[in-house]
Amino acid sequence: MRRTAADLGFWAACWLALALVVGPAAWIVIGLVRKTWPVLSVDLLLKTTAQGGLQNALFGTLVLAAGVLILAAPIGIGAGVYMAEFASQRQASLFRFVSEVLAGIPSIVVGYAGYELLAIALGWGYSLLGGILALTALVVPYVVKSTEAALQQVPTSLREGAAALGLPRWLMLWKVLLPPALPGVLTGLVVALAISTGETAPLLYTANFSDANPPVQLLHHPVGYLTYVVYDYVQLPSARAHQLANAAATFTLFLLLLLIVLSRLLAARARRRTEQMGL
Amino acid sequence: MHVRQLSGAPAAKVVTALPLRVRGLRVRAGGRELLRGIDVDFPAGQVTAVVGPTGCGKTTLLRALNRLHDDSTGLQVSGSVELAGADIYRDLGLREVRRRIGMLFQRPNPFPQSIQENVVIGARVHGLTGRSGARELAEARLREVGLWDAVKDRLGGNPYRLSGGQQQLLCLARALAVQPDVLLLDEPTSSLDPWATAQIEQLIRDLRERVTVVIVSHNLSQVARVADQVLFMVAGERVEVADVQAFFRHPSDPRTRRYVAGEAMTLPAMEERN
Ligand SMILES: Nc1ncnc2c1ncn2[C@@H]1O[C@H](COP(=O)(O)OP(=O)(O)O)[C@@H](O)[C@H]1O
Ligand SMILES: [Mg+2]
Repeated sequence: MRRTAADLGFWAACWLALALVVGPAAWIVIGLVRKTWPVLSVDLLLKTTAQGGLQNALFGTLVLAAGVLILAAPIGIGAGVYMAEFASQRQASLFRFVSEVLAGIPSIVVGYAGYELLAIALGWGYSLLGGILALTALVVPYVVKSTEAALQQVPTSLREGAAALGLPRWLMLWKVLLPPALPGVLTGLVVALAISTGETAPLLYTANFSDANPPVQLLHHPVGYLTYVVYDYVQLPSARAHQLANAAATFTLFLLLLLIVLSRLLAARARRRTEQMGL
Repeated sequence: MHVRQLSGAPAAKVVTALPLRVRGLRVRAGGRELLRGIDVDFPAGQVTAVVGPTGCGKTTLLRALNRLHDDSTGLQVSGSVELAGADIYRDLGLREVRRRIGMLFQRPNPFPQSIQENVVIGARVHGLTGRSGARELAEARLREVGLWDAVKDRLGGNPYRLSGGQQQLLCLARALAVQPDVLLLDEPTSSLDPWATAQIEQLIRDLRERVTVVIVSHNLSQVARVADQVLFMVAGERVEVADVQAFFRHPSDPRTRRYVAGEAMTLPAMEERN
């Protein structure tokens, strides 16, 4: 009897906790979609914010993400591989410390440092490259960490087999360690992209904003992106601006959802692979 | 009655394997001595079985014989291991040691590459075959270990789809493809089915002229089937090294006698060997 009551209490608490997590998330999503639904039209994709659409912001977000991918992937994966496979204990712990400090810097500070260094000191002004660099600095620690973890999870027996056969380190890395680690590495990369897609602060002082489509130049031209529209346009006193802000938030959410699903798929694939090896 | 000899006296087998000579081999982990000065000769062309209770240092010994401890921090190895007179810790490069002294582990560990790539990767990196010779090399080694018929239609396939026994045979083919002088086997059949076990035991006997074999085994009937000599260890020390017959029939040390008697409950009579 008491047992049943305790059980009931426990389950009620669990459900409550779950509701507290899921509820607000669902409320946000449903609210956004409901507000966006009536204004959803191809015009959002065909017009720039200057003309009452989101084309430039969507492009800007995608171009920034592509830039982050191009920079953060080699830097983050390279550093992660170095830490997991080649660094001495002391080097690795120093490196890890630096990486954690970097990860701990508030994103607005990263943005401001980018402004001082890139926009002012180097004279780039507001620029695409500045925005990409600020976002990259923000997410590289995640890529490093996930790469390192993915390599450390490769079964020791594979390392020993490669060592016992006299394979050089680079070949062991390439042919033996990387294939099973790859899904984990990619998952980290996708998560990093998701983080950077949702950020505004590092971009405010570096890429700033533009209501025209992104420039072909890397420097001296501001760039628009979705999260800025969310941040700024809700403060504007027009109904159309509010609608744009809602639509931009929905687009951002949708992109994040895509990236999260992708990272889930990659993670599941990674698990399957390791299980299959049965090591 | 006239007896015709069809093929004359059995031709003396040409032994191309090389001897391994171990002196004063010690392995320390912090303050603990895992191996306490092992002296043993692994004669060319013979199979030596290493036996002893769990935790006595058999795996530690094997790993010292191809410098696998070099990669683990916190272990110090001292003493000498000579491959045909050349000290593997002082005179030979690490990669040469790893090529000439191969190892097969307790659990099969194929690489996440195709079946063919698993066999040829070592040979290619050691310059023993070019890209063009890869297929023939793979076929030759896979035939040698008796895996060819099972995998010939899926050389590009996933090695993890093979059974455990087949995976271990693949690892053996991989080890043989780099033409080792010595092969170290650490309980290679302990997780395998009877077919793969028999296959590996047959191979060990056939390989003797080419490769000096050191095999750790808990299975004394397997020792009786494959070994020429036995190294018996307890707690990181050599108790005795004896010819396999002597080891089973009249061991000199009382600890050996006890171990053989204890483990021999299930041991069938020594079988006739070729
Ligand atoms: N890297 C290591 N560091 C410290 N102790 C170890 C290490 N590897 C093995 N040992 C210890 O050395 C002893 C011998 O181990 P091992 O050689 O694996 O025994 P066996 O193969 O004969 O069962 C065991 O007590 C084990 O705990
Ligand atoms: Mg062992």
